[in-house]
Amino acid sequence: MGLKKAFLRLATIGLGIGLMTSAALAANLRVLAWDGYADPDWVKDFTAATGIGVDVVFIGSDDEIWAKIKGSEGQDFDVFAVNTAQLQRYIKADLVSPIDISKLPNQKEVLPRFRDLSQVSGDTKDGKVYGIPFCFDSIGLIYDTDKVKPAPTSMSVLWDPAYKGKILAYDNGEHNFSFTALTLGYKDPFNLNAEQMAAVKAKLVELKRNVLSFYTTADEAQQIYQNNDVALIWANYGQQQVKALQKIGAHVAYINPSEGALAWLDNWVISKGVRDNAAAEKWIDFMLTKKVGGELSERTGFGNTVVESSSAGGNDKLVWLNNVEDPLKRSDLWNEIKATP
Amino acid sequence: MLPRDRRLPLLVTVLAFALPVLFVLVPLAIFLVYSFFGVDQGTIVYTPTLGNYVRFFTDPIFLPVFWNTIVLCVSVAVICILLAYPSAYFLTTLKGRWRYALLMLLLVPLLMSYVIKIYAIRSILGLNGFLNKALVALGILHEPSTLFVFNMNAILLTLSLLLIPFAILPIFLSLERIPQTLLRASDDLGASGLQTFLRITLPLSLPGVASAASFVFVLAIGDFLTPQMVGGISGFTFGRILYSQFGTAYNWPFGAALSVALAIVVICAILIGERFGRNRGTSI
Repeated sequence: MGLKKAFLRLATIGLGIGLMTSAALAANLRVLAWDGYADPDWVKDFTAATGIGVDVVFIGSDDEIWAKIKGSEGQDFDVFAVNTAQLQRYIKADLVSPIDISKLPNQKEVLPRFRDLSQVSGDTKDGKVYGIPFCFDSIGLIYDTDKVKPAPTSMSVLWDPAYKGKILAYDNGEHNFSFTALTLGYKDPFNLNAEQMAAVKAKLVELKRNVLSFYTTADEAQQIYQNNDVALIWANYGQQQVKALQKIGAHVAYINPSEGALAWLDNWVISKGVRDNAAAEKWIDFMLTKKVGGELSERTGFGNTVVESSSAGGNDKLVWLNNVEDPLKRSDLWNEIKATP
Repeated sequence: MLPRDRRLPLLVTVLAFALPVLFVLVPLAIFLVYSFFGVDQGTIVYTPTLGNYVRFFTDPIFLPVFWNTIVLCVSVAVICILLAYPSAYFLTTLKGRWRYALLMLLLVPLLMSYVIKIYAIRSILGLNGFLNKALVALGILHEPSTLFVFNMNAILLTLSLLLIPFAILPIFLSLERIPQTLLRASDDLGASGLQTFLRITLPLSLPGVASAASFVFVLAIGDFLTPQMVGGISGFTFGRILYSQFGTAYNWPFGAALSVALAIVVICAILIGERFGRNRGTSI
């Protein structure tokens, strides 16, 4: 275990450097966010309006957020962005503080589906609010308007033999089990029992026989679309993917399936080590202004929680992504599905 | 204390041994050790177990995929050799500057990013791709075919295309090393061109062929990106299973066990390649 020790030492040194830099900027609000969530002009406006300086650190993955927050037990940052599926893990590890909604006047003005936070799965625990929804996107269905008529309303179109070999699906067991479970009408797509699991697996083997390929990146899907006869794309990258396709002149449209679309939702949360709770609340409230929300959607293509955007209509049913019962099992089954001739 | 002038060579020697040990043997040992661990609820359990290996041999999905992948990679090696041998032979018949200029040209694809090449090949093979358009235009096909992309054929074609340079080089080197005097002697003794080729050139170049084949095989079997990108739904290879164990499945111990299985095949391939290479090589 000498190696482990060496790693620990390295981590300690890194932490030391981190602490030194954060000590040097003691007065500022420390924000950890995804690129696009704390643009320089918003930060400038925020500082001008409140007199609070802001230091933003951008992250590239869920694991990185966890490493940064867990590594310092929440002491290195005041506010950070995390999705609903991840949030419960931070609550369990006691890394985040409950948020007093009454300090966030703008939260009362958000879109109806985000108003009652107890209805947003993953944002609350024991009646306390831990996450304030900020940015989301659904995982819907892209269809070629020239080839698919009439417009589809459900993911079940992916199993339609009429489109055999013209479908692009996404190469990820976890999501595929979840959306297929929704299509089969199961209530909780993230917690499947053995019987449901077997049914979903059989259904996915059928799906596999109907698709052209499984893609992993948005670029890849786009390239395949350009070089092949593709009618339907299971859109893991949602709006970004649609816009990129429309930009190259593809005649495509986007729907959220009627049985419910999987969707991710990023939230602002306040860390356990917050130095100035009032400043953190002001930041979150500022992020919920119509101006920031509108610009967020305009710039990133994602949905915001304040003004309507193309990610989802008001009546679309969205199912916030959650941790699944057994990721390893789903991934193993997914391999089995792919290996099935 | 050693005298100053002897310290440097000693340091170099230590480094020469330390680097491979540190960067090759230690990592290999670590993944070998990991293959005997297990996973529970997404975290690695550090109690020794043979479970991963038992699963590899008993689960109905792994061995067939493993076997299919080996067959695929052997086919890639064979295709590469069949295409590379004539090219390399042609190169050796050229004189002077042309020979090396052309060799460089054949190796130029190696300067390009691997991923870009796969992307390019995939758009060539696609339904609206260059290959289909050409075949339809030539009247060979009536309508574009999906035969070339998102299946095993696609992997076979793409890997062969990507790996041919690795086959040309060793074959070229072994052909070039054949002493011209032998060929002239054969000619003097009345052998025809074909006889000279079959009795002298071919046997003497076999070491190059053997190392080319093992190169190509090893590179092909370790590749997961090509199958992932052009394999579609039916082109499922061992590399893709392996990759998923480290990515989405987060089952490093099982992934490590699969890597051990792969490593054994790779080591065998290298040993066979080297054995043939050396036997023939020393008998000149």
